[in-house]
Amino acid sequence: MLLSKQNLMPLLNSLASDVDVFVPTTIDGVKKFARLADGVEPDFDMINTTMPPKDLLFPQTQKMYHFDVDKNGSYHIHEYDESREQIVFGIRPCDMRSIVCLDEVFLTKGFVDEFYANAREKLLTVSIGCTQAAETCFCTSMGVDPIYAPNADVMLQDTGDAYKVTAQTPKGEAAVSAWSEFLSDGDAEPVNCDVTLKVSMEGVVDKLEGMYDSPIWENLSIKCLNCGTCTYVCPTCHCFDISQENRKKDGVRFRCWDSCMFSEYTAMAGGHNPRPEKLERERNRFMHKLNFFERRYGMSLCVGCGRCVEKCPVALDITRLIDDIGSYEVAPASAE
Amino acid sequence: MAIEISHGCAKGERPLIPQVCRVTEITQETPDVKSFRLVTLDGKKPFDCEPGQLGMFGLLSYGECMFVVSAQSDEWVQFTVKKVGLVTEQLHNLSVGDEVSLRGPYGNWWPTESCRGKDMLFIAGGIGLPPVRSFLLYCLEHREDYGRIDLVYSGSKYDDLVFKEQLFDIWPNEPDMHVHVSLYHEDPKHPEWKGDIGYTAPYLETLDLGPEDGNRVAVICGGPSLSRTCRESLLKAGFDEGNILTTLEMRMKCGVGKCGRCNMGGHFICLDGPIFSLAEIATMHSDV
Repeated sequence: MLLSKQNLMPLLNSLASDVDVFVPTTIDGVKKFARLADGVEPDFDMINTTMPPKDLLFPQTQKMYHFDVDKNGSYHIHEYDESREQIVFGIRPCDMRSIVCLDEVFLTKGFVDEFYANAREKLLTVSIGCTQAAETCFCTSMGVDPIYAPNADVMLQDTGDAYKVTAQTPKGEAAVSAWSEFLSDGDAEPVNCDVTLKVSMEGVVDKLEGMYDSPIWENLSIKCLNCGTCTYVCPTCHCFDISQENRKKDGVRFRCWDSCMFSEYTAMAGGHNPRPEKLERERNRFMHKLNFFERRYGMSLCVGCGRCVEKCPVALDITRLIDDIGSYEVAPASAE
Repeated sequence: MAIEISHGCAKGERPLIPQVCRVTEITQETPDVKSFRLVTLDGKKPFDCEPGQLGMFGLLSYGECMFVVSAQSDEWVQFTVKKVGLVTEQLHNLSVGDEVSLRGPYGNWWPTESCRGKDMLFIAGGIGLPPVRSFLLYCLEHREDYGRIDLVYSGSKYDDLVFKEQLFDIWPNEPDMHVHVSLYHEDPKHPEWKGDIGYTAPYLETLDLGPEDGNRVAVICGGPSLSRTCRESLLKAGFDEGNILTTLEMRMKCGVGKCGRCNMGGHFICLDGPIFSLAEIATMHSDV
């Protein structure tokens, strides 16, 4: 099936009359996904957004429940479910890969996070393959195909004047069959995307096992400002804090994005902090991306989107770190 | 044979939503430690749990913190809380009948099965005793399943020793149970203290409690320096790393391995722990 580019906006406007459709756009100078509405111009030629679309599943601040007291002074808890039908239209394959990671975190290992699960259930993902890469993009090195996202409900691939449309899940098939008036029969070859920034992940995961006390982490952390930008723009970073706001005995408990770059993140009430310095925090962040997550869930927690490379104020670059790990000579294990 | 510990064993629905519970009994353990017994609003036990498991106990208006369930019965669970921060200070202002929030249970539990038939050596300092006590109480309830029991417990001052009645009046009278208590320094407020003086690790070494050919299991809970020095003492005494158990602590928010902060390498203390053997910890990338 093909979707001609002339039919793209009519399709989107038709979808947006029923559900919230989120598209890549620029608002107040920030490239991000925003709800399609009057005055919002989708930009499907944008290479990638500055802010990832993870907030559609994992909002920056999310109310979990509110509490209040009745006449007798007894507490009651009322849960929120603010999830609703949403379509993310134009999500790139790297960000689709990040959803594979988030699904593992929030939906597996004994506890299902109901807030994430509700939002995930109601999200239709329409991915558009890339036609050009930014100089910071390195997705192919992290096993992502820039023109194909296997877990998208619907995959659109640019063929020039039209997108090739493939429904990949039951949810996607239902969607595409409802779009029939905008689609035409046919097939065409997708345009390729050339990603020039490359790193070699070969052996990196295993090598990191023996590098916990390597000087590489100190060299890396010296220039880090612990600003947390990398964690906020990262499509896979999912750490959160839980807090509350209240007025007397009525209040709301919410969760919000947190960052492992901050010392308060692990500071305990008794005064002990297991990761008190930048060195421990940087090491934990990159070990989590490149080793811990791989060991726990069998995949990398870096998808190669390049956002942290682009936005880091001191040019701390994960691709250079991966290169450095690759060329690092691990001392042979001691005979202890 | 090394002790087998289960990991990632807690499961549950709606893990982030607490239930409202009621405080039925408060015990002042020390000037800054209180124990709280909790039941549901209709008077039932809030949740079933194994010794060593965790609960997120707090106040809706102030926040919640993770604690090991320090004791339980068929009717209630108990938490023992030292006043050290914002939430615990508010918990200390609670009265019997007040409503609190509670969710759990989380985490794994002490390997009660795998330790059957073993001699048990419990080592704790200060507020480290409540987590260890959950296992100790289980052993006493199932006394015939375990061998000799030793408790080595220290505090910086006499007033800081928790569960004094059990320490000095009840446990020493349990069959084949030996209670060893030391204060870190002479306590000017309690010149009548005739017990031992010394930090936990050197004190432990004077007691000459060896590994008994792998038949003795050591269980440690204390602050970072106590943990480190006592582990070293036990290894020096010949204990196998697989027979030294500990319960770890880090800051926690979600309790279910998702919010990120309590990781030790690729493991989460709230979900895969808090209980690990030293042999397991040695294979992890630990910042703890």
